[in-house]
Amino acid sequence: MSTSLLDELMTDHLDPGYRAAAGRRAAAPSPPAADRRRTQLLLATGLLLLGFLLAVAYRGTLRQAPDSERARQALVRDVETGSALSDSLQRRAETLTGELGRERDAALAAIRTGDQVGTEVRRLEAAAAQSAVRGPGIEVVAGDAGAREQTDPATGERVTVPAEDSGRLRDRDLQSIVNALWAAGAEAVAVDGERLAPTTTIRAAGEAILVDLRPVQNPYTIAAVGDPETLLPRFADSEAARRYQSYTGLYGIQFTVRKVGELQLRAATGSQLRYAEAVPSASPAPSAAPGASGSSESPRSPTGSPTGSPASPSGAGSTPGRSPGGGP
Amino acid sequence: MIAAAALVIGVLLGLLVEPVVPLWLQPYLPIAVVAALDAVFGGIRARLDGIFDSQVFVVSFVSNVLVAALIVFLGDKLGVGGQLSTGVVVVLGIRIFGNAAAIRRHLLRA
Repeated sequence: MSTSLLDELMTDHLDPGYRAAAGRRAAAPSPPAADRRRTQLLLATGLLLLGFLLAVAYRGTLRQAPDSERARQALVRDVETGSALSDSLQRRAETLTGELGRERDAALAAIRTGDQVGTEVRRLEAAAAQSAVRGPGIEVVAGDAGAREQTDPATGERVTVPAEDSGRLRDRDLQSIVNALWAAGAEAVAVDGERLAPTTTIRAAGEAILVDLRPVQNPYTIAAVGDPETLLPRFADSEAARRYQSYTGLYGIQFTVRKVGELQLRAATGSQLRYAEAVPSASPAPSAAPGASGSSESPRSPTGSPTGSPASPSGAGSTPGRSPGGGP
Repeated sequence: MIAAAALVIGVLLGLLVEPVVPLWLQPYLPIAVVAALDAVFGGIRARLDGIFDSQVFVVSFVSNVLVAALIVFLGDKLGVGGQLSTGVVVVLGIRIFGNAAAIRRHLLRA
């Protein structure tokens, strides 16, 4: 037997016990019957243990492997139920908003200046995307560059080239298209059915684009309500539209604009007043009149937080009694 | 014959009883299986060599499983559990391959 550990490992695979036992047997050639039954029992026990171990390990592996798959399925189910719940809540919010509007119209009809106020409220609501609107407009479809075919320079064969990263639309692309639409005179804009309110964000989360915190899918359909006869040429002439038109050739993105006779945009969601509070309607007549007629900016000013945040020590002149301590 | 029946009974027992393996024991199960396979291949080869001994087989099987699990357990405590498991699998794998080659030579004469 080799003394080297590695040699032994590579050449001596059999348990040395077998050879030793064979040597012992050779010395005492005829084992008694009781001894043979004992070894049979021993072997049976050992094989029983072996089978048990294999079966347990098999079951354990079987149970572990689908665990990750099951967790994934559960997560997918969670996401699905979550979005279903969110959809149903949104539908409920829309019906409730409709009811609210009807109730308010009924209440306004009862007072003398009701018609005028009601018209103004509806106009403001439409402008703030708080009510569903419909009307003619244009539709912009922008999409990522897909896989394209090109001739392989080496073999001359037609090969499919996967889309490059530069051909993917980002949140800022949607932003500039939407901004160009507003600038061209759009009165209401929706991206993939998500109506844009004055405070709606279009931003990226990883590779997804979120409009009002809801993911939208490529290709992106941007619908804008407005007079198509002026909206289309003004948008097509805008810097953003010309840029993306040129990107269709440069990067292979998808970018089409067309007139639509009738667009239906639903109301935007998630408009909550964080700081503004409704004034109790004890004597609304004198204060409401100038606000309704002139549509002044003061109630919408974002800086007008009456509670005042104490967490801003550099209070921009809001604490005139305090002297800045850092001045040498 | 008794041995084969015992093996089948063991497998059925493991499948039917569905023993719950405690969480702390689960990392050692794969290593124990590899060690058991090593003992099995060693036993088959000894049988073909004509020097099989039940006692040696059972003792080598049990001790292989226990020692392999112990090495991995110690490795876990020392923070080298992964490396030691790899080492055990490599050594046992070499032995399994060597014994399998001997069995092949016996059976196929090649």
